[in-house]
Amino acid sequence: MSYVLTTLTKKKEIDSIIRDTIDKVLVLRFGRASDAGCLHLDDLLSKSAREVSKFATIALVDIDSEDVQVYIKYFDISLIPSTIFFFNAHHMKMDSGTADHTKWIGAFHTKQDFIDVVEAIFRGAMKGKMIVNCPLPQERIPKYQLLYKDL
Amino acid sequence: MNAMNEKKINNNKKKCEFEFCKVCNLNHDKGHRHKYFPNHKKSLSAFLSRFQSKLADIRFFLKNPSVLRPEHASRNRFWCVFCDADIDEISSSFACANAINHLASEDHVKNLKHFLWKYGGEMNHMDAYRILEADVAKWEKNCKSLVNEAAPSNDRSNMLQVGPSNDIRNELKNKNINDFENCTFDPIKSNLSNGVMPLHYFTNEYQISHSGLSADTNVGPFVHDAIFSIPADAWISNDLAVDWNSQQPLPYKNLISSSDLSYRGVSQGYQGGGMVNGVTSSQGSHNITQTSATPPKKAGGNVHTGGPPPWFEATEENHLSAELKPISSSFISLSNKPGKKLNPKRVGAAWAERRKIELEMEKRGEIVKSDCDDNWLPNFGRVWQSGSRKESRKEFEKEKQKLPKVESHSEMPLKIKPYISKRMRRDASESE
Repeated sequence: MSYVLTTLTKKKEIDSIIRDTIDKVLVLRFGRASDAGCLHLDDLLSKSAREVSKFATIALVDIDSEDVQVYIKYFDISLIPSTIFFFNAHHMKMDSGTADHTKWIGAFHTKQDFIDVVEAIFRGAMKGKMIVNCPLPQERIPKYQLLYKDL
Repeated sequence: MNAMNEKKINNNKKKCEFEFCKVCNLNHDKGHRHKYFPNHKKSLSAFLSRFQSKLADIRFFLKNPSVLRPEHASRNRFWCVFCDADIDEISSSFACANAINHLASEDHVKNLKHFLWKYGGEMNHMDAYRILEADVAKWEKNCKSLVNEAAPSNDRSNMLQVGPSNDIRNELKNKNINDFENCTFDPIKSNLSNGVMPLHYFTNEYQISHSGLSADTNVGPFVHDAIFSIPADAWISNDLAVDWNSQQPLPYKNLISSSDLSYRGVSQGYQGGGMVNGVTSSQGSHNITQTSATPPKKAGGNVHTGGPPPWFEATEENHLSAELKPISSSFISLSNKPGKKLNPKRVGAAWAERRKIELEMEKRGEIVKSDCDDNWLPNFGRVWQSGSRKESRKEFEKEKQKLPKVESHSEMPLKIKPYISKRMRRDASESE
């Protein structure tokens, strides 16, 4: 697992990390430590944590804890792992060609992909954009079916 | 008129392959037009004037021929830009001899013409970049007279002296090799030579002490890159000595191996002496010189005792103070970034500023009114929202209140997914 990354289990902790990460991208991974997809992503995150450390902070959120459920509802988390990006307590959206722009669902293919995504978010945020385009080519973006409410 | 316009258009459409202009040092696809551009003309004049200054040196030697000493030979290389060739003076006996001959040669003139055609130089100044044959003839005469003047003043002929007798590259003529037959290298004895430094002296010192050392193993010039990898156990016995005696001018490799032995002997006997300079060794076996016979000073320490290197001591103070400065500044910059102005238009700039102030106040110990209550939620744009983010938060709050009431009536068929939030079910029922 990742000993480098902090795991958050309480709403207060999440609040404080969102509020205290100033001028850096905050990467929050929502998932379970036991899930294979999450483990894959966690591995990537912990390996690249140092490389992005100057402009990003990474943290993990355990979705099984009680306190966190409100966030799970608020962020509409239905598939895991889900990664949500914040900048200065504002949520950053990324258009990667999928249905859900508010979060990144699934893992990444390589560390570099993750770093590219975080960099794109950072650059957009520094320019004042709240939604950025995904720098990865389509084949490297994990596809998923989103639950559509009307179906 | 139309025909003229068409012709113009046609001319502009002609595309050229990319070529490299060595005057401007860039690639272009303008073909022959490139040489008329003003930038190119500027670069060309600069380029040629640089070359001219080098030619001026050579012309100086053309008028005043002087003897070329072998140690200066390597400095006299000359790059001819027209021929794209390096002209060195390794085997010439007079300064710039090869260069002068080159500049007078036919090939060079041909290349020069080609260059001027290609890069658009002035054709009538061509003589500036070459040497006329008449001049070369005059120069050669002068050279011969020089040689003849110097000859009677020496026992040996001037040519020999001029020739690289001390040149380390010219190994065959070097006395070293001839002396190998006489060497009586004894590895065991050399082991006992104490207080001798590991480094052999350099070439020039060898030449100075040359006359005094006749029977010694002359390994000085060849140990520039002493090979360290040979293990100390592998002592080669007298067999090698035998081999040496039997071989005639030794190729370079074998010379290195001999030097290894002596090096090894020296290193085993080394006890922390001094640097390389000066006094010749008293041991008869090899040419290791020793610095002053005084014992090494213990105050400073050395590599073996683990003392600090001299350059470190000298700059210690500077180093420490330099170390302190960047660290402290980096700490400050991490937290505050003074002097580096972040984009005021960045996302959440207002929030960040407010938060920074709050944090500073907290650091100072003041109690900050924290508006982070239990129900604080970050600014989040939801998935299926339409409208501003505040609206989405309001929606969410509404739904949170409705949640306990709706839970019991879930009409939407449950799709088996790893995680389905109740909100989705609620949404479905609401929208219908």
